[in-house]
Amino acid sequence: MLSGIPALGSPLDPLYRPVTRVLREHLGLMPSHITWASLVPSLLAALTIARGHVGAGLWLMALGQLLDAFDGAMARHYHLASPEGHRLDTLVDRLSEAAIFLGFAVGGFVSLKLVLCALLAIALLTTVVDRAGFDPGAKRMALYFGHWFTYPTLFTVIFGVNLTAYVISLLVLDCRFQLLMDRLGGDLDTIATRGALAEAAEEAVHR
Amino acid sequence: MTIITHIAVTAIGVQALNLRGRDAVLAFLFGVAVDIDHVIKAPFYLRYAGLTNQKDYYWRSSLQEPVAFLWILPLCLYFGTIVPALFFAIHLAIDYSVGYEKMPFYPYSRYISRGWLTQYPDKTKEITLLAGLACCQAYLLWVHR
Repeated sequence: MLSGIPALGSPLDPLYRPVTRVLREHLGLMPSHITWASLVPSLLAALTIARGHVGAGLWLMALGQLLDAFDGAMARHYHLASPEGHRLDTLVDRLSEAAIFLGFAVGGFVSLKLVLCALLAIALLTTVVDRAGFDPGAKRMALYFGHWFTYPTLFTVIFGVNLTAYVISLLVLDCRFQLLMDRLGGDLDTIATRGALAEAAEEAVHR
Repeated sequence: MTIITHIAVTAIGVQALNLRGRDAVLAFLFGVAVDIDHVIKAPFYLRYAGLTNQKDYYWRSSLQEPVAFLWILPLCLYFGTIVPALFFAIHLAIDYSVGYEKMPFYPYSRYISRGWLTQYPDKTKEITLLAGLACCQAYLLWVHR
C-alpha cells in the first residue's frame, strides 16, 4: 500500500511480518506470487469503478496495494529481493494503475484524454526513477482524495506532479553527468564524447 | 545561437501564426524559456572555471534536447495545442545548426551529435538565419500594414 512512499516501506515491515510469515512459511508462496496476486483485486477495482461503484472500487484498490506491500516486506525479510522481482513489481504496479485509471474513464468520472496524460507521465517517470531516485509517489494514492476533490482535478494533479518529477529527474541526471564531465576537464570541445565513454565505463564496472 | 536569435524567431512565429493569450505564452516558454537550463548549469560553470571565460563549456541539458519531446508531447495533449512542440522544434533546429557537441537522447542514449550543416561555419549560418528573419519580419509588417 505504501510502495508510493519508499521511506515508509521498511519501517512498516514488522507490521506485515505475521502475514508474510504465514504466506511464506505455511503456504510456501514467493514474493512474485504475491505481486501477481495483487493484480487481481486491482483489475476487480477497475471493473467495479467502470460500473460506477467508486467506493467499492477504492476498497478493492486498497486490498491490491496491501498485497503489493506484502511482496516487498516478504522479499526483504527472507532475503529474496532481486532486480527481476523489482522489475515485476513495477510492471504490475503500472498495469494496476492503467486498469484502474481506465476504469475511471469508462465509468465517466474523468476524460480518457486526462487518463492517458496521467498514465504517460507515470510511465515516463518510471523510466528514470531508479537512476534519479526521485518519486513523489502521487499515483493511485491520490484517488483516495476523491471525497474532497473532483476526479478531473486529481488526475490533473497526478499528471502534473509526475511530469514535473520526470523533468526534475532528467535534470538531476544531467547535473550528475555535468559533474563527471567537470572532473574529466581537458579539451571542452570533445567533453561530451569523453564523458559518455567515462560513464559507460563506470556502468560496466558497477555491473 | 544567441538568446536574441531565439527571441526573434519566436516573435516572428507568434506574429505569423497570429497567436494570442495562452498560446503566445506557450510559444515563448518553449521557444525561448527552455534556455533556463543555462541558469541551472551556471553553478557548475562557476565551480569549474570561476569567472574566467571557458569557451566550449557544456551548457546544454535534456531540457533543450530532442529527448524533451517525451514530456512536451503529453503536455501538448493536455493543453490541446501543438504550439509547445512546434516552437520547441524550431528552438532545436536553430541550436542544432551550431557545431558543438550535443547529446540528443541522454539519459536514454549516449549518442553524440554535432548537429546539421556542419560543413558551414557557425557564423555564416547565424548571419544567414538573421538575414532570413529580417526578411520574414519585413514581409509580416508589409502584410499587416
